Amino acid sequence: MKKTLIIIGVIAVITLFYGLTAYNSLVTMKESTSAQWQQVETQYQRRFDLIPNLVESVKGIMAQEQTVFTALADARTKYSGAQTVNDKAIAAGQVETSLGRLLAVIENYPELKSADTVQNLMTQLEGTENRVSVERQRFNDSVKAYEVAIKRFPRSIIASMFGFDDVNYFEAQSGAENALKVQF
Amino acid sequence: MRRIILTAIIIFMPLIGLAYVSPGQPTGFVNDFANVLSAQDKQAIETKLQSLKQTTNAEVSVVTIPSIGDDETIETYTTKLFQEWGIGVKGKDNGLLILVAPNDKQARVEVGYGMEGNITDIQSGIIMRNVMIPAFKTGNYSKGISGAVDAVVAVITKSPEAARYLQDASANNSGNSSGSNLNLTPLFFIVIIFLNVFAKILGKTKSWWLGGAIGSIIGAIIGLIWGFIFVGIGSIVILTILGLIFDYFISKNPPKSGGHNGFFPMFFGGGNSRHGGFGGSGGFGGFGGGMSGGGGASGRW
Repeated sequence: MKKTLIIIGVIAVITLFYGLTAYNSLVTMKESTSAQWQQVETQYQRRFDLIPNLVESVKGIMAQEQTVFTALADARTKYSGAQTVNDKAIAAGQVETSLGRLLAVIENYPELKSADTVQNLMTQLEGTENRVSVERQRFNDSVKAYEVAIKRFPRSIIASMFGFDDVNYFEAQSGAENALKVQF
Repeated sequence: MRRIILTAIIIFMPLIGLAYVSPGQPTGFVNDFANVLSAQDKQAIETKLQSLKQTTNAEVSVVTIPSIGDDETIETYTTKLFQEWGIGVKGKDNGLLILVAPNDKQARVEVGYGMEGNITDIQSGIIMRNVMIPAFKTGNYSKGISGAVDAVVAVITKSPEAARYLQDASANNSGNSSGSNLNLTPLFFIVIIFLNVFAKILGKTKSWWLGGAIGSIIGAIIGLIWGFIFVGIGSIVILTILGLIFDYFISKNPPKSGGHNGFFPMFFGGGNSRHGGFGGSGGFGGFGGGMSGGGGASGRW
């Protein structure tokens, strides 16, 4: 009789202990996905801060390319207004597309391409695009670790008990999988 | 449907990751896997980077590989290699990687998170365009790599030489924080003191199970802090066994008060401490676990 009680007690302690560690590790993983998303947004912000400078320095010479500038300005406004992670991801994709178009157009203006300011701005943009893709990749990696954790038995029980729901992967928009390439 | 897609992504993601093939383990700051440097140049660069590490604690690595493979871009490859080797001190992320792939005619300067203020993308871009690419175009890899290392070292140490490489550089505005390596000595002493206290307590009780009990409690606490079931169970098992052995030993040979105190004699055999093993030798002892986030500049020729 006493033995059964001890065995039940030991099992209960082990189960409780397991529950605690599993819960804590899920919290940690979920937090690391949102921390990683913040890294992505930091790089987006850096990109937006660079765009006006680039636009200013090329606007004069590229006066006839108004549509490119308008599209870029629209996309930026949309991103500033986006609230949820999903909206932000979509708006960021649009910024990326119109930015890519602007960079492609700049290629047609050799006098712009060789100007020091433009060259430096392009280097910075290229660096930013690469940072964005690195941080996105790491965001997806952290989401993957979290998704595996909440779906695998027996941690899935703890996950559903405490409402750990899915985090969406960042899905690159078509054509935006690769960082923009700037060639000199 | 979404579940299926998610599952597919989870299954295939590791395969995508497989495209990166590690060139191997670093044997120094300079790792010439493509054999484009002469032994003499290699040694000269290695010496420069060692003294940079000693003076500023920054870790700069030069790597040449024949090719980055078909599935990677120069950017993704460099970031992955940077992460694998952990160039720079952990937490400071003050590493920098110069990667040259002669067969692909591509190169990249990748700057660690903590160095992005010291070397801006513009500066690494200028070093790439003005120093590396022209030399690489003529096949003179030694010249391009040595020049790039000199330029990078000059920028990191803020020497006036830097201006020679960066004619049109913008102002460099961030302060350089150099600090010491992670020092394990205090931790070592704390452990010794703990063992000492335990030895005194456990030595008084003739039983040898108490040490095991304390070991398993400490193991459970470690597991909770870590928040990972395997670490928890592992540390409970290991610490319980260690505690049992420790208590068994100490109960058989209780530490005497006065004279040689507690546990010290076992570690310091008559005062012969073996210090000086950490750092100081100036050689290459592996990188410190730093991270990069895609900063820097690439070049093609």
